[in-house]
Amino acid sequence: MDKRQDVWQGTLALMALKTLESMGPLHGYGIARRIEQISGDRLLLNYGTLYPALLKLEQEGFIASEWGVSENNRKAKFYKLTRAGHTHLKREARQWEEATDIIARFFAPEQLP
Amino acid sequence: MRGLAVRALAVRTLRRLAVRLAGLFSKARRERELADEFESHFQLHVEDNLRRGMSAQEARRDARLKFGGIDSAKESMREGSTIMMLETTWQDLKYAARGMRGNPGFAVTAILSLALGIGASVAIFTLTDNLLLRPLPYREPRQLTMVWEMNHSRPAQIRNVVSPANYLDWKARNHVFESMAVFAEGRSAFSDGKRVEELDEQYVSAELLPLLGVQPFRGRLFTAAEDLPNTPNLVLISYRLWQSWFAGDEGVVGKQIQVRSRPGTIIGVLPPGFYFRNRTTDLWEAMGLDPARDYRLNYGRYAMSVARLKPGVTRERAQAEMTAIAKRLATEFPQFDTNWTVNVESLRDSLVSEVKTSMLVLLSAVGLLLAVACANVANLLLARYTARRREMAVRVAIGAGRARVVRQLITESLALGVTGGLLGVALARWAVLGMLAMAPLDLARNLAIEVDYRIVLFAVAASVATGVVFGLAPSLVASRADLTQGLREDGRSSVGGSGSLRSLLVGAEVALSVMLLAGAGLLFRSLVGLQAVDPGLNPARVLTFSVLIPGARYREPVQRTQFFKTALEQVERLPGVESASAVSFLPFNGMSAGTDLTIAGRPPVKPGEELVATIRTVMPGYFHTLGIPVQRGRVFTAADNTLDSPYRFVVNQSFVQKFMAGEEAVGQQISVAMDTRHPFGEIIGVVGNVKEGALDQEPTPTVYYIHSHLVYTGMVFVVLTKNDPLLLADPVRKVIHGIDPAQPVAQIQAMDAIVRETFARQRFSALLLGGFSLVSLLLAAVGIYGVLAYSVTERTREIGVRVALGAEPARILAMVLGSGMRVVLAGAAVGLGGALALTGLLKSLLFGVKPHDAATLLAVVMLLIVVALAAAWLPARRAAHLAPVDALRQ
Repeated sequence: MDKRQDVWQGTLALMALKTLESMGPLHGYGIARRIEQISGDRLLLNYGTLYPALLKLEQEGFIASEWGVSENNRKAKFYKLTRAGHTHLKREARQWEEATDIIARFFAPEQLP
Repeated sequence: MRGLAVRALAVRTLRRLAVRLAGLFSKARRERELADEFESHFQLHVEDNLRRGMSAQEARRDARLKFGGIDSAKESMREGSTIMMLETTWQDLKYAARGMRGNPGFAVTAILSLALGIGASVAIFTLTDNLLLRPLPYREPRQLTMVWEMNHSRPAQIRNVVSPANYLDWKARNHVFESMAVFAEGRSAFSDGKRVEELDEQYVSAELLPLLGVQPFRGRLFTAAEDLPNTPNLVLISYRLWQSWFAGDEGVVGKQIQVRSRPGTIIGVLPPGFYFRNRTTDLWEAMGLDPARDYRLNYGRYAMSVARLKPGVTRERAQAEMTAIAKRLATEFPQFDTNWTVNVESLRDSLVSEVKTSMLVLLSAVGLLLAVACANVANLLLARYTARRREMAVRVAIGAGRARVVRQLITESLALGVTGGLLGVALARWAVLGMLAMAPLDLARNLAIEVDYRIVLFAVAASVATGVVFGLAPSLVASRADLTQGLREDGRSSVGGSGSLRSLLVGAEVALSVMLLAGAGLLFRSLVGLQAVDPGLNPARVLTFSVLIPGARYREPVQRTQFFKTALEQVERLPGVESASAVSFLPFNGMSAGTDLTIAGRPPVKPGEELVATIRTVMPGYFHTLGIPVQRGRVFTAADNTLDSPYRFVVNQSFVQKFMAGEEAVGQQISVAMDTRHPFGEIIGVVGNVKEGALDQEPTPTVYYIHSHLVYTGMVFVVLTKNDPLLLADPVRKVIHGIDPAQPVAQIQAMDAIVRETFARQRFSALLLGGFSLVSLLLAAVGIYGVLAYSVTERTREIGVRVALGAEPARILAMVLGSGMRVVLAGAAVGLGGALALTGLLKSLLFGVKPHDAATLLAVVMLLIVVALAAAWLPARRAAHLAPVDALRQ
C-alpha cells in the first residue's frame, strides 16, 4: 500500500541478509546495531521495524532462527542465513548494483559541464 | 537446473504456507515468542547502553525510544503471519454480511429464492431417486420381470392377473427365464392364542424368495415339497412383525401360531426391510399349487407371476417367446385362452409406471422453478452490482486489483448461494415429509424415503454453482465497466450494458412461469372436473371396515351368512347409525372380481367374445346405505338372503346398455359363472352405475349377488351414520368382538376418503405444480419490480426533465408500465410456445381438458399480466409522482 515503506522494507531486508552473511548467526539486536554501525550512524533505524522484515525473510526460507544464549549470557533468538538465503542475497545484490548503476548513469551527465 | 529451481520454489512456497498455517493455529505460542524476543532485544540494548556509560534510567529510555512502538511492530508481525487468502476471504465475508444487513430486502429475497428453488428440487429429486433411480433391493434386479396376461379385447388391461394353469405351462415351455415364480396377495387373521390381528399376507410358490435372492434372517425358506396342497401351514414372518409382536424373541422359529384359525408353525424371519411389491406384508405362506389339477376347469385368473431372465436374454426376446407360447396355448385351450396373450414387463416398470409420468412432470416443473430462482438471483445480483459500480470504481482507483474485486464479488454471491443451499436442504426435509403426507397411497406405500448424501451433494453443488456462475457474470460486467465512467456517474441516466441482460432474465422468468402456470392450470381444471364427477354413490357419512371370518371355524355357508346377518343387525342398533350393509369388494378400492355370464335365450358366444362383468356379492340394504339409485324393479331384501330362495340378480345400468341393447332387463334370466354351481336366475332390478376403481374410468357392467348365493368370508361393512362416521369406529369393533372375541376388524376408513384417494395422483401433481408455479410467479413479480424500480431510479433526472417540460403523470406512468410490459409480453409469448410444447407430457394426468386448452392458457397469461402490472405499478407510480425540482436537483 505505502510504496515507500515497501522499498524501505526491501532495503532493510537486504541489509539484514548481508549482515548475516558477513557476521554469521546473530540476534535481532546485533543485526540492528551492525546495520547502524555500517551505515556510519547515518541511518537512524527504528529497531522495531527490523522484526517484521526478519519474519518475512524467515517465512520465505532465506534465514532460519533458533533460541540461543548471547555473549553476555542472555537468552536470545539467533538468525542465520540459509542456502536459499545465500543465493537470494547474491541475486539481490546483483540487481541492486544494476539498479544503482542505472540510476547513477541518469544522474551522471547532469554533473558534466 | 531449471527443474531444481522450480522445486526449490515449490519447497519454499510450501514451507511458507506451513509456517503461516502454524502461525494461524498456534497463535498464543507465537505471541509468547514475540514477547520473549522483544524482551531479550530490550535487555541486550539496555546492557549495551550501560556499558557505554549511560545511567540505568537513561539506558532504558534510549532502548525504548530506539525500538519504536512495540505494539505497531507486533501488529505488523501478526499481519505477516496469517494466511493472506484466508484473511481476506474472512474480510470479504464480513463485508458481505455487512452489505446484506445493510440491504436486508436484497439478501432475504435472494436467499429465499435460492432456498425455495433448491429445496423444491432436492425434495423432488429425493422422491424420484427413491422411486425411479435406486436399484430394487433384490439380486440383479434388472433381470427381474413381471409376466402378466393381457387380453386383446380389453385394451385397458395390460396387467391382468394370471391363471395358475397358464403359469404352469409357461414355466414348463419357456427357454428364456432362469426361473419363474407365482404369488398372490391377501389378508389373514394371525393369532398367537392371546391376541388376533388381520395382516397383509403373500402366498408364494417355493421359487419366489430364492428367485429374488432373499436369504432368511432367521430359520429357513419353503422347500419345494412344502409348496404342495394339503401340507402343514408353515409361515415366514417379516422382521417388523418379529420385532413388534414377538419382541425379537430368538425362539420364534418353530413357534406354534394360528393363521385363518388353523394351526401353523413359524419357520423363519425375513431380513429387515425386505418387501416385494407391498411394504406392509408381514406374512408369507407357500401357495401350494397342485401340479395334477386342471386349473382351467374351475379357476379363473387370480395370481401374479414374476420371473428372472437368463443372463444375456433381453426383455424383448423373452416377450417374443412368451407371445409365441401364448399363441399355442390359445389354440390348445380355445375355451380358456382365446384372445389372451402375455405381457413381459420389467419389475421396475411394473412398480412405477403409474407414477412415472407424475414424477417426470414434477421433475421438469422443479427444473423450471430452479431456473426461475437462479434467474431471479442473477437479476438481483446484477441490480446490486450496477448500483455498486461506483463503489467498485473507487476500490479499484485506490489500489484494489481487478482480480481482488472480482473475488470479493464472487465471495459475496457464494455466501448467498451456500446460505440459500443450506436453507434449501433444511426446507427439503420438511417438503419431503409434507409430500409423503399428500402423496397417493400407491406411491407412498412402496416408499421409505431417505434423503441421501448424493442429493445433499447435488444441492451444495447447485448452490455453489449458482453462486459462482451468477456471481461471476455480474462481477465481470462490473469489473469490465469503465472505471472513470463509474466514478463520474452520479445518478445521471445511462443505461448500463447490464440493463438488457436484466430484461432478458426477467423475460426468461416470465416465460418459465407461464409454462409452470399452464401446467398447474390444466391439472387444477382436471382436479375440479374429477371432483365434479358423479361417483354414482354418496360417500358422505359412510364408515367402512373389513371383516374376514376364518373359513375353518365357519365351515357351512349358512354359518357365514349368519355371522354377517347378526353383525349387521347389531351394528344397525348402535346409536348414530342409519343403516348398515356389507359388500365383497368396495368400489374405488382397486380390487374386484369379474367373470363370464350367459343370458338365457341367446346363442352361445364364440370363445374370446364372452360377456364379462364385475361381480359383487352384497347384504340387503347395500344400495340404500351407499345411496346408489334404484332405476327399475327392486333390490334385495332380507327374504332373498337365504340358502333356499331362488337365484336373483341386480345389475347396473352399464350392463343393460352393453348387453341388453336397451331391452327390458328386469325379468330376464342370466347365469353367472362365479361358482361351480351357477344356475340361471332372474334379474329383479337395475341400479345406477358406480364408478369402478377410478373416477376417470368408464363404468363396467356389474352383476350383484345376494350373499347367501355367493358366500364370501371376507366382507367390507358399509355403515351410514348420522354424524362423523369415524366416531363409530370403536363401537363397531366392540360389536364384532362381542360376537367373536377372536375376530379382527381391519381397514377402518371413511368412504369419502376412499373416493378421494382415487384422484390422489392428480391432486398430488396439481398441488405441487400449483405451489411451484405460485412461487415462480412471485419470483417473476420480484424480478419485474426490481428491474423497473431500478430503471426509474436511473432515469430520475430524465423523468424530471419530461415532467418539467409538461408531461402528464399519466403519460409517465404509461411510459414506465409500457417498458415493463414489453418484457412481460415477450416473455409470455415465449412461455406460451414452451407450454404448448410441454403440456403434452401431462396428457395421461388430465381429465376432461385437452393439453392445449385455450381457455386455460389464456387465463394463465391474463393472470401473469395482472401480477406483472401490479409489480410494475409501484415503481411506475413513483415515477409519475416525481417532483421535477427534486428530480433535477438530484
